[in-house]
Amino acid sequence: MAVLNYTPGRAADPRRLSVKWAAGFWLLLALVCPPPLPAQESSTKEYQIKAVFLFNFIQFTAWPDTAFPDATAPIRIGLLGTAPFGDALQAAVQGEKIGSRPVTIERLAGLQEAAGCHLVFVGKSEANDIPAIISALAGRPVLTVGDMPDFARRGGMINFYLDGQKVRFEINRAATLRSNLRLGSQLLGLARLVGPQVSAGED
Amino acid sequence: MAWLRDGCAVLVAAALGTTAAAAVPTAGAASEIAGYKKLSLAQLMEVEVTSVSRRPEALADAASAVQVVTGEDIRRAGAQSLPEALRLLSNLEVAQIDSRQWAIASRGFNNTSTNKLLVQLDGRTLYTPLFAGVFWDVQDTLMEDIDRVEAISGPGATQWGSNAVNGVINITTKNARDTQGGLLTGSAGTVRAVAAARYGGTIAPGVYYRVYGKHTERDSSVTAAGPETGDAWRMSQGGFRLDWERGATNDHVTFQGDAYQGTFGQSANRDVEAEGANLLARWGRTFGPKSTLTVQAYFDYTHRIIPGSIAERLGIFDLDIQHRLPVGDRYDLVWGGSFRTMDDRVINPATLAFLPPHVERDWYSVFVQGERALLEDRLRLTAGVKMEHNPYTGAEWQPNVRAMWKMSDRQRLWGAVSRAMRTPSRIDRELFAPAAPPFAIAGGPNFKSEELLAYEIGYRIEPRAGLALSLATFYHKYDDLRSLEPGPVPGAPSMIANGIIGKSYGAELSAEYRVRSGWRLRMGYTEMRVSSVTKPGGLDRTSTRSQVLDPDRMALLNSQFDLSERVSADLTARYMGRIANQNVPAYAELDVRFGWRPTEALELSVTGRNLLDAQHAEFGAALPTRREIERSVNASFTWRY
Repeated sequence: MAVLNYTPGRAADPRRLSVKWAAGFWLLLALVCPPPLPAQESSTKEYQIKAVFLFNFIQFTAWPDTAFPDATAPIRIGLLGTAPFGDALQAAVQGEKIGSRPVTIERLAGLQEAAGCHLVFVGKSEANDIPAIISALAGRPVLTVGDMPDFARRGGMINFYLDGQKVRFEINRAATLRSNLRLGSQLLGLARLVGPQVSAGED
Repeated sequence: MAWLRDGCAVLVAAALGTTAAAAVPTAGAASEIAGYKKLSLAQLMEVEVTSVSRRPEALADAASAVQVVTGEDIRRAGAQSLPEALRLLSNLEVAQIDSRQWAIASRGFNNTSTNKLLVQLDGRTLYTPLFAGVFWDVQDTLMEDIDRVEAISGPGATQWGSNAVNGVINITTKNARDTQGGLLTGSAGTVRAVAAARYGGTIAPGVYYRVYGKHTERDSSVTAAGPETGDAWRMSQGGFRLDWERGATNDHVTFQGDAYQGTFGQSANRDVEAEGANLLARWGRTFGPKSTLTVQAYFDYTHRIIPGSIAERLGIFDLDIQHRLPVGDRYDLVWGGSFRTMDDRVINPATLAFLPPHVERDWYSVFVQGERALLEDRLRLTAGVKMEHNPYTGAEWQPNVRAMWKMSDRQRLWGAVSRAMRTPSRIDRELFAPAAPPFAIAGGPNFKSEELLAYEIGYRIEPRAGLALSLATFYHKYDDLRSLEPGPVPGAPSMIANGIIGKSYGAELSAEYRVRSGWRLRMGYTEMRVSSVTKPGGLDRTSTRSQVLDPDRMALLNSQFDLSERVSADLTARYMGRIANQNVPAYAELDVRFGWRPTEALELSVTGRNLLDAQHAEFGAALPTRREIERSVNASFTWRY
């Protein structure tokens, strides 16, 4: 019987590769070619969600009055490093006021520009500079929000992480208290708390 | 590079027969953002940022019985294989048969070769067209790379295709972007040892890769009388994944592959040898918030030699396209198609045969599904149909209708009616015994698809922040289930036919509760009844009762507890009811894991599995040879650098 002549390990007869298999190979190759550039960049859903989280963080954070020059001065968000929000962050804060304060967004060229901001978003590209960023802003009323592993454990205040497909955040409460920032229970209750334990009465 | 890009664009467009590259992205993110701003923080935390499903959606809004575990859940449970991870999903029946074989099903009809479940890993179908079941012994990946596992109980045939009759399992691994750096892990224990390494890096901005290798050795299972049964095994596997994101991920190209080789002991014969390799490419483009195109193609090669039984060499090529687009403001449309071809060669022993031994077969399908939002998005109606053409019975139509009603911000009610088909696999049509005439079994020349009509109603509620409850109820009605009918005259061979009907009904309850920061509970309870009988006039020779090998109830409790920031104590308790037709007693088991992170880079853990009994049976007829699963303990380390 022909079937008995077939031995495992023998290469398939190339003539048996029918047209559809050849077409399959070709298609697979075509697929790994670089696809054409998109005509317009837009943010991912992940960063749209993160943009809305940032807006929520501002709403549920109380800065000391000394952090603002006057009663209607804006809340300034600074973006340091990789911040692929596209126009999502602008859309999230557009037209919004927290109390009497509008919200502004600025792209920071370097750490020295961060001091006047109220919230500094630290992108993934800055992972190697965490100690410098933390020490430069230590004690200042600047809410630091990281987007990389271990940002909060290493002294940052809030850090985004992904739990499967969901955006979550962790809070280093000791760091926020050192800078006289008070975070609402809405944030603390939903966050994963990291860093030194802080007893309940401390804020 | 521009010439390469443009040239390839032409190739891809030509391959697809479309001019996808010319499509224009839709307007910016403002409308999506406005929607997210209406959500509470707790709700925002539940939005899925991407999804493997045909239609990305928040889990709470799915009009089907879907449960998900994340890679983090799997790590904390100490699961070291895919079936162990599946035990965390309370809508699945997971039974370990011996050291390497598993019976895994959803909503009943579990068996060694469960044939009503669709299982996919990163979009690659894992069941074999030989018998429509999964060779679980060779399905593996680096557990640390798993992003999530999604289990849909109930039919998903309209979206996912044939075999998605009683459920769909989607296993997804992480984007290579999220597995950068090195990882070394090792585990040694009383029944198993695992060593694995992975390294991930960046080739260019936006282009990430990882490579991994893994080796597992496992000891034999035991019988009730005690002695080991000679089914020890070892397996080595390696693979890679490359992710390329262009712009702000308007394009996402994935290229991945694995290869493995395993040797599995048999008590009465030489070792089973299995090897395989696969290569997959996927291109996804996002045109706008509700507009995406995904094209995926893969090759999958498997080779298995089972001394005393068959040897099989199988090659599969699969192409899948789906396109999602909004139509006006209220309609959302997904459509797609697939093509699948296989080349399968079996070497038959004297006792049984797949005839003809060598076949080449093709499948193709098209599906379309539309969703309409009504009442200011409080009510969503979905209707869709899939036509799948298979080489045995031709076109099969698999429609479904679903509705999801947002009763309030915290409550959802959903319902669905679906038809799903289990189309013939080789075993249903081409199985002969013995291998040469005169046959006792002469295939199933008239075997047609098994049919399911399913009715489902579900309810989800979030009574307070951090607590989510979900209830799914179902009534399934099966027709044309597989039977073995005697020949018309004495001495004539039996033939495989469709002489059995069946039904099942039940309820699946699941809950997730964040007790407080650092303590999370997941719970599940399923109560169900599954039955089957021969049709009037049917003379099925396999006991009709052998169709039903399912417990009436199952329960799960999974607790994830942080003793401190660096120390965790997690436990998973499960209960499985008695499998009456096999006399498998009901059992309860407990897994416990302690994890300790002395530094950011290092994690040490000790895991005990099946702690409540020295050994217990989970599946199989009550024979002295039935295998039992032992209590086991292992110690592991994971080092990231």
